[in-house]
Amino acid sequence: MNEDRGDRREVALHWRLSPHARRLCTLGLAGLAIALISGRPEFAAAAAPALLLLAARRPAGPDRVSVRIRLAAARAYEGEENAVDVDVTGAGDHEVQLTLRPGEAIEPVTATGVTGSRARFGFTSAYWGRRPAGALEIVLRDRGRLTEGRAVTALPTLACYPRPAQQRTRVVLSRLPNRLGEHSARVAGEGIEFAGVREYVPGDRQRRINWAATSRRGRLQVSTFAAERSQDVILLLDGTSDAGPPGATALDLALRGAIATARACLAGRDRVGFVIYQWGGVHWLPPRLGQRQVYRIIDAMLAGQRWASAGARLNRLPRAILPPGALIVVFSPLLDHTFVETLRDLRERSFAILVVDVLNAEPGHGRSAISQLTRRVWRMEQEAIRFSLRELGIPVVHWDGTESLDLPLAPYTRQGMVTRR
Amino acid sequence: MTPGIRGAWSAGLLGGGCVAWSAAPLRHTGLANAALLLAVACAAMGALRLPLAGVAAPDRIFMPLPLRIWAAFLKLVRQPPWEEGTILAVLWLEVLHPARPWHTAVLGVVLVAFLLAVHLSESRATPRVLRPQARLLATGACLLAAGAGAAMIPAASGPAGWLRAIAACAAVGAAVLVIPLTRTRA
Repeated sequence: MNEDRGDRREVALHWRLSPHARRLCTLGLAGLAIALISGRPEFAAAAAPALLLLAARRPAGPDRVSVRIRLAAARAYEGEENAVDVDVTGAGDHEVQLTLRPGEAIEPVTATGVTGSRARFGFTSAYWGRRPAGALEIVLRDRGRLTEGRAVTALPTLACYPRPAQQRTRVVLSRLPNRLGEHSARVAGEGIEFAGVREYVPGDRQRRINWAATSRRGRLQVSTFAAERSQDVILLLDGTSDAGPPGATALDLALRGAIATARACLAGRDRVGFVIYQWGGVHWLPPRLGQRQVYRIIDAMLAGQRWASAGARLNRLPRAILPPGALIVVFSPLLDHTFVETLRDLRERSFAILVVDVLNAEPGHGRSAISQLTRRVWRMEQEAIRFSLRELGIPVVHWDGTESLDLPLAPYTRQGMVTRR
Repeated sequence: MTPGIRGAWSAGLLGGGCVAWSAAPLRHTGLANAALLLAVACAAMGALRLPLAGVAAPDRIFMPLPLRIWAAFLKLVRQPPWEEGTILAVLWLEVLHPARPWHTAVLGVVLVAFLLAVHLSESRATPRVLRPQARLLATGACLLAAGAGAAMIPAASGPAGWLRAIAACAAVGAAVLVIPLTRTRA
């Protein structure tokens, strides 16, 4: 971690005449040459100030300087303000100028050039991904500003996480696995949510006796409570299509939605796993508990090409990755027919599936009748895909990426999600 | 207004002033028009370079035509040494005029001021950084005044002019060699 955030390093400097010195040199030499060629001494006089300034040049300074570069945070969400602290030592009495050269999708929020051996450059990352924050240019100038020592050093790598969507509620299955958790199940158990009253039978705990009901009925009555269970939630991302405007593509929305769902489910003590499907294979993280799993999931998302696990197929995933009875929340634009077929296959294997449709773009079209007709056909195809999934018992909700995920998921978060077997 | 912008404005004005000062009165001999054109172009591009120094050049692989033109324009503005071109063209314009020592001396002062303004603008520094060079600048101004004054003394034409030029160059060279030693001892 320390290595990644950057530590003190030695940077070699390349010394040369400064552009200012080169210009003075041009004026001085040209003046002298013209004076000698034309026999006009005033040109030699005009060259005198420039040559005098050049005479103050000193030998080059230190060969290398020590630079300490530290990111304020090695991980940040999209649009979140971050900073890089720079401290240069070993420059002697030379003036130090530090310039930030921002990397791809890095937007400075402070001045990019600072005079002084210490600086703090603020920036934001506009787009998710793991990439260098940019480069730092160090320029040392002597007192007469005639020689310059230059060095460029890379800034540490920044992991920019997709900005999570808003989601407070959770989708909970009506049938939960027999494992302790925080969701009230339909069966009686040892939870704290009141479920009903029944007659006392030997062996019941005395503290469960409901005295109000007992006095009304004349026989001992005990309160019953709902069992508390947890569920397994598998987030399934479709990485095969990335349609839409930059910054709001289907993949962007899928990642943001998946992070929001993971955070909401992990806050409810559910086990959350992650599967991403791409051309050529799938990559997965087995379901686990705890907030740390959110960061594992995001790191897996940022792993880029390492997502693909050659040869793995979605419908052949091991039982540990897709536990029986798990809820599968799918984020997909539903453009890939193979993926849609896989969803059907999973449904036939009795998994509870909820699809969040993240497609918010259409193919480009012209004004001609053929174009209009093509667009209509494409829309009907998309509607047919969603209809067929609903017919199989796979609810499909559409999310535009701007509103809270609670809104499209509301029909399934207000009460337990019932799944036909 | 930041020091960089102030410096850019002052550098632009001083560059324009140099060109106008050396070109007046307009002459039409010895490639004067070409030199004037070159001086104006170099001064204008140099003045553009300073405010555009902080603008990031687009460097995507697939860029639309306007962006590609913009990137090429930025490259054109930034790469050639426009200030050096301005100096050479301005000196050439001055040479084309008959001898006028005081005029050339003023041009020398404005040229040095122009170079200092360009330097302050591109390094985003304030004029305070020139304080250590104040003595050198004062000495240079004295030498300039002395040289211009010497050039104004009437002399016989021909070899005497050459001798005076060689003497002036030698005086400047001697001053350049002596001044750093003086500073070191101080």
